[in-house]
Amino acid sequence: MVAPLIEVEALSKTYRVPVKGEGLSGSLRSLWNREYRDVEAVKNISFRIAAGERVGFLGPNGAGKTTTLKMLSGLLFPTSGQIRIAGFTPQDRAVAFLGRITLVMGQKQQLLWDLPPRESFLLNRAMYGVDPVVFKKTLDELVTMLRIEAVLDKPVRNLSLGERMKCELVAALLHQPQVLFLDEPTIGLDVEMQVQVRKFIADYNQATGATVILTSHYMQDIAALTPRLLVIDHGSLRYDGGLIALAERVAPERRIVVKGGPKELSELGFMEVDGDQIATLTPEETNKRLAAVLARWPMVEIAVESPPLEEVMARYFREGA
Amino acid sequence: MSAPPNAPRLWTVCSALARVALMNALQYREGFLVEFFVGTGNVVAILLPLAVIFDRSASVAGWNWDQSLLVTGFFLLQSAVMGGLVEPNLGAVVEGIRAGQMDYLLLRPVDAQLVASTQRVAPAKVWDAVAAVGVIGWGLHGTGLPDLGAFAAAFALLLAGILAMYSLWLLVICLSFWFVRVDNLRYLLGAVADAGRWPVDIYRGVARVFLTVVVPVALATSWPALALLGRLDVALTAQAIVVSCGLFALSRWAWLRALRSYTSASS
Repeated sequence: MVAPLIEVEALSKTYRVPVKGEGLSGSLRSLWNREYRDVEAVKNISFRIAAGERVGFLGPNGAGKTTTLKMLSGLLFPTSGQIRIAGFTPQDRAVAFLGRITLVMGQKQQLLWDLPPRESFLLNRAMYGVDPVVFKKTLDELVTMLRIEAVLDKPVRNLSLGERMKCELVAALLHQPQVLFLDEPTIGLDVEMQVQVRKFIADYNQATGATVILTSHYMQDIAALTPRLLVIDHGSLRYDGGLIALAERVAPERRIVVKGGPKELSELGFMEVDGDQIATLTPEETNKRLAAVLARWPMVEIAVESPPLEEVMARYFREGA
Repeated sequence: MSAPPNAPRLWTVCSALARVALMNALQYREGFLVEFFVGTGNVVAILLPLAVIFDRSASVAGWNWDQSLLVTGFFLLQSAVMGGLVEPNLGAVVEGIRAGQMDYLLLRPVDAQLVASTQRVAPAKVWDAVAAVGVIGWGLHGTGLPDLGAFAAAFALLLAGILAMYSLWLLVICLSFWFVRVDNLRYLLGAVADAGRWPVDIYRGVARVFLTVVVPVALATSWPALALLGRLDVALTAQAIVVSCGLFALSRWAWLRALRSYTSASS
């Protein structure tokens, strides 16, 4: 078996945060008698990721996804546990390690705000020691893929959010990293732009074989991009596997929707919702009921749906372990 | 995995950083003109009390008017370098720690201290530097020109003093990894450094040790003046080297320790 590219063993991160009492009196009290509370952001997480994999970190706000990603990229020191990425320990921040990875954060930016994106790209070229010929070729490719020729020489502050995100991706990929850490890369983008960014990340992974680790709030990001899912909840790893398998486990039921179906369908257990007749059933029952409907009303418009992924995940997090 | 990227050459990195820092700063050209007047006013404000004192007495603690002008000139030069090259960066680091913008700085395969210390410049401070050189020239007009060796020694001491003051600023900045807000400490340090505008001999005892060892601003102001006057001995030179190198080593250690505590304010 090929050795995994990323190995994480019993990783934990605890933040020490000051606790402040309520109101002004609380603030005054905390001046001389400050109390601290330990927050376990990540608790004893272990996993392995092979080179070229696309993996999604999923979890509610404050679950520990971003903290995990920041430890993997060497920004944060783990409180305990081990991380090995391609033979490096991220928190050592070795030059050779940093040259192999990239981190894109949807809510932070590395582009120089007052200058055109081209200047940020040139700065990164110098910092990462990219050969000028390779740099030009990579830049041309990325610019073409993302269709941003027109914005290269406009100050970053004048770009739209979508244009800026695309330029952030270019800045992050100019040194051709082998591991991409993407923290909410589509946050705040409109649907069309989200689709473009997703397609770009998938194409980039296909073309370069780079490993992609992504966190997102948008289920569509996860569904479209990452065949493997790590669900992190309250700092612990709750699930490691495929999205479909998880959906099957949490919400195996199917929904039969008969568009504008006859009211008599209620005899077969259907309910009317917005003029359609809908029944929610186990997979085994679905086929039988489908046959029964079609036997009586062969001409109706009928669809079988799985529950929406958002609904599945909401149920998963609500129901707990 | 393919071969690791070329180790970036220091020079390429520094010149790229300087280019960006300059381009950023030159966006605000109105500031350039304002700084000219502020700088000129500053020189007058610093020279005025000196003129008042020497109007009543020919010498203070062994320094006459011309010799004191040299100290003032080096003080202005030190302030110009600190204000033009050092303080804008360290201010940006504090803000970066508070807002989590240090992330991208730490992700680059370049020494984070180097990048943190060279990403901003305030080119308008060049006026202060020009005025400083003018004041030193005025002082030398009265004291007479020293030989080239004295100039070299003065320059080396100025650099050692600036290195020491940079290290001290960095130490204060390191505290912000834990305490986040260190503005008051920065103002305090600025106020103490202001004492460097007077010849160090007017201070006695603890105050003098303080200004030559703890906040060694005198290294960059009085001592280069002493070098130009041919009054600097080996012991003082050695002390300057030990103090500045020691402070630099301490600040480097603190910086590396501080990075471990970076919490990357949440995105």
